[in-house]
Amino acid sequence: MVLVSAVRDYINRMLQDISGMKVLILDSQTVSIVSVAYSQSELLQKEVFLVELVDSISKSKESMSHLKAIFFLRPTSENIHHLRRQLASPRFGEYHLFFSNMLKDTQIHILADSDEHEVVQQVQEFYADFVASDPFHFSLNVPSNHLYMLPAVVDPSNLQNFCDRVVDGIAAIFLALKRRPFIRYQRTSDIAKRIAQETTKLMYQQESGLFDFRRTDISPLLLIIDRRDDPVTPLLNQWTYQAMVHELIGIQDNKVDLRSIGKIPKDQQEVVLSSEQDAFFKANMYENFGDIGLNIKRLVDEFQQIAKSNQKIQTIEDMAKFVDNYPEYKKMHGNVSKHVTLVTEMSKIVEEHKLMLVSQTEQDLACNGGQVAAFEAVTNLLNNESISDIDCLRLVMLYALRYEKESPVQLMQLFNKLASRSPKYKPGLVQFLLKQAGVDKRTGDLYGNRDLLNIARNMARGLKGVENVYTQHQPLLFQTMESITKGRLRDVDYPYIGNHFQQGSRLQEVVIFIVGGTTYEESRSVALQNASNSGIRFILGGSVVLNSKRFLKDLEEAQRIARSSPAVV
Amino acid sequence: MATRNRTVIYRKHRDAVKSVRAPLSSSASGSGGPVIEMASLLNSNRSSYAPLSTEDPGPSSRDAFTVGLPPAWVDDSEEVAANIQRARVKMAELTKAHAKALMPSFGDGKEDQRLIEALTLEITDILRRSGKRLQKLSSSGSAEDSNVRKNVQRSLATDLQNLSMDLRRKQSTYLKRLQKQKEGPEGVDLEMNFSGNKSRLEDDEFDDMSLNEHQMHKLKKSEQFTVEREREINQVMQSVNELAQIMKDLSVLVIDQGTIVDRIDYNIQTVAVSVEEGLKQLQKAERTQKKGGMVRCATVLVIMCFVLLVLLILKEILL
Repeated sequence: MVLVSAVRDYINRMLQDISGMKVLILDSQTVSIVSVAYSQSELLQKEVFLVELVDSISKSKESMSHLKAIFFLRPTSENIHHLRRQLASPRFGEYHLFFSNMLKDTQIHILADSDEHEVVQQVQEFYADFVASDPFHFSLNVPSNHLYMLPAVVDPSNLQNFCDRVVDGIAAIFLALKRRPFIRYQRTSDIAKRIAQETTKLMYQQESGLFDFRRTDISPLLLIIDRRDDPVTPLLNQWTYQAMVHELIGIQDNKVDLRSIGKIPKDQQEVVLSSEQDAFFKANMYENFGDIGLNIKRLVDEFQQIAKSNQKIQTIEDMAKFVDNYPEYKKMHGNVSKHVTLVTEMSKIVEEHKLMLVSQTEQDLACNGGQVAAFEAVTNLLNNESISDIDCLRLVMLYALRYEKESPVQLMQLFNKLASRSPKYKPGLVQFLLKQAGVDKRTGDLYGNRDLLNIARNMARGLKGVENVYTQHQPLLFQTMESITKGRLRDVDYPYIGNHFQQGSRLQEVVIFIVGGTTYEESRSVALQNASNSGIRFILGGSVVLNSKRFLKDLEEAQRIARSSPAVV
Repeated sequence: MATRNRTVIYRKHRDAVKSVRAPLSSSASGSGGPVIEMASLLNSNRSSYAPLSTEDPGPSSRDAFTVGLPPAWVDDSEEVAANIQRARVKMAELTKAHAKALMPSFGDGKEDQRLIEALTLEITDILRRSGKRLQKLSSSGSAEDSNVRKNVQRSLATDLQNLSMDLRRKQSTYLKRLQKQKEGPEGVDLEMNFSGNKSRLEDDEFDDMSLNEHQMHKLKKSEQFTVEREREINQVMQSVNELAQIMKDLSVLVIDQGTIVDRIDYNIQTVAVSVEEGLKQLQKAERTQKKGGMVRCATVLVIMCFVLLVLLILKEILL
C-alpha cells in the first residue's frame, strides 16, 4: 500500500493546484508508473482530458492553447531534447514540468535557454520513479536487463546506464519514503557492490542535503542482492494465482494480454489484475490453483443467483431494483468473466504441456535430495515426447544447479540428451548458467545443505511431509528475511558499505533489491511475511519482474554477447 | 514524500538568458503571431545570436499565449457542467421536500406533493437535455482534439449517470416510506373493522345494515387512498422509466472502473494504434495507386507516342 499511495500522492499534488482543462504528457517509462497507480476515470475527474506520449506529441502541429500542459518525464537526454523542441514552438497555454528524478544543472540550463516564450510555470522534481505493481513490491522495467550478468569490461557505457537507472530507482524509493538507509550488499556479486557504492555516494555525499531528513527513529536497511544467488526460483513452475498467470501467460504492469493465447472474446483480450481494484483477486492472488478453482466456482454461483433474480422481473419494483443495481451487476459480470477466462486458459496450458508432471520433478529437484532418483526422473521426462523443449531445458538446468559436482558423467549424459532433443537450446546455455550461478558463485544456502541447522530443518520437513507437493518450494529470500528478522544476517556474507550502520537496534523497515529481477513467488513470500506481524516491514524490488521465459532470454542474450566479445574469457 | 522545487534556479537562468538575448534582437518586424526562428542552441555562441524576427517576448505576448480561445464545443461542455450543478442544487431541495412530505401534518399535503412533482420533473428534464447535448458533443469540432472531446464527454457522462442513480435511489426510498405510512392508518382501520365485525356478528339485521354503511364508508375512503397512492406511484415510476432511458444512453459513454478501458496506457495505445493504422492505410493506398492500371496505361501510351514520333521522323528522313 505504501508504494502505490506514494505515487498517487505525487500525482495528486501535480494536478491539484492547476485549474482548468489539462493535458498530461508522459514518456514510455512514466506511462507504466502512472498507469498502475492512477486510473483514467480518476484523471477525468481532475479535469485531465488528454494523455499523450512526449515523442508523439512533438509531431503534431495543432495548437491547443486553452489547455494547460503537465509534463511528467524521466530526466533523460531524449526527453530534454523533446522538451526543447516543444518549448521552441509551444502548443499549449501553460507548461508545468515535473521530473521523476534529479535533474542535472546543465539540463535546467538547456530548458531555460529554449523557453523563449516563457510558458514554463514551474519545474519540480517529484520522485515517483518506480512501478508500484503491488503493495510491497516494485519494479523498474529496465530495458536491457541481461547486462548484469556480464563483467563491466564488455560494455561499460551500457552497464553504467543500467546502474544509473537502478540507483535512480532506489533513490526515488527512499525519497518517497523520506528515509535514508544504511546499505548492505552481497559480497560475492560485483554488480551489487557497485550499485551499493554508487547509492551510498549519492545519498551521503552528492545529494546529502536532499536525503538529510533529520529523523530520530531507526534508519531502514537497504539490502542489495544478486539474482544469481537464487537461480532456482525463476526457473520453477508456479501454482499460486498471480505467479502462475505471470509464468504461463505474462503480466506486464498489472495487465495481462491474452491475445496470443487463443480465441478469446473481444472484451477479455486484455485484462487488468490489480489487487487494489479487484477484491476477488486481492483475496486469491496468493492461493494455490486448487483453492482458486473452488473460489471461482463459488463466485460464479453467486453471480448466477443474481442473474437469475434479475431475470424474474415481474413487478415494477423489481424493474426499479434492476435498474438500480445494473452498474454493480455489469461490473461483477466483467470480473467473473475475467477470472473464468484466465483460469480456463491456464488449465488448457497445464493440460497441454503436462505441467503437473514436470512440476513435481521440478519441486523434487529444488527441495529434496536423492541424486539417483532425480537423474532417473529427469531422464524419463526427457524421453517423454509431450514435454516441450523449454521445460526440458529447465529440468536439466535445475538438475545441473543442484548436482553440479556429483556424478559429472550423468550430467554429460543429460546434456547430450538435451542437445539431441532440441537443437535450438544448445546445452551451452546450461553451462553458461553454471558459470554464472554455480555453487562456487553463490553466497546463500540455496539447498539448505551447507550448515547443520539447515540440514536438520530439511530432514525434519521431509519426515513431517508436505501439504502440497507443488508449492513446497520456499525461495531463498524467505531465509534471508528470517535472518534479518532475527538479526542474524552475517556480516561476512553481506557487508556494510562505509561506516553508516547501526548495531544492536531493532530494525523496522527493510528494502531488498534484487539486481536482475524479482519473481512473483518472492513477492508473495514478502507479502506473507509482512502479514505475519513480525515487527519489520519488508519491501521488495527488482530491475524487472521475471518469469522463466524472461530469465532464459536474459541468459541467452548475455551468452550471445559474452561469446562475441573478446574481453570475456 | 520528498520533492524539490527547481523553479527558482530555472527562472534565474531564464532571466539571465533573456537579458543576454534582448539587446541583441533587432527591430521588431513581424509583429503578428510570435513565430520565432531559433538558431541551434548548442552550437551557437552566446554572443552571436542571430537577430530574431520577432518582438521581445514581453508580458503581452505571454498573455496572448495563455489566453487562447478554446474551441466552440468547450462552451457546450461548460453549459452541461453548469446544468449538472443546477440539478444538484435542485436535488438538495427535493430531499428537503421529501422529508417535509413524510412528516405528519394537518393539511392534506397536496402542496407538498405538487412541489415534489414539479422538482422531480424539472430535474429529470435537465438530465435528459444534458444527456442529449452530451451526445451531440462528439459530432462537432475538428479531428485533432477528438480525444479531448471524447474524454470530456466521458467525464460528464459519469457525473450525469451518478446523478440519475442518486435521484432514483431518493425516489425509491421516498416511495417506500410513503407506502409504509399510508399502510399505517389503513392497518389500524382494518383491525378496528375486523373486531367491530366480530362483535356485531350476533346482532340483528338492523345492526348489520348500519354496520354495512359504516363499512361502505370505510371502503370508500380506503379506495380513495388507494387511487391517490396509485397515482403517486405511477408518477414516480414514469420518472424512473425516463431515467432508465437516460442511463441506458449514457452507459455507452461511461467507463467501467477496474477494466482495461480504465487504464491510461491502454488509452494511449489505442490512439497510437489508430494513427499507425491510418499511416498503413495511406501507404497501401499509395502503393496501389502506383501499381494502378492508370499509371501503366499512361506509361504505355507515352512510350508508344515516342516510338511513333521516331518512326515518323525516320520516314521523313528516309523519303
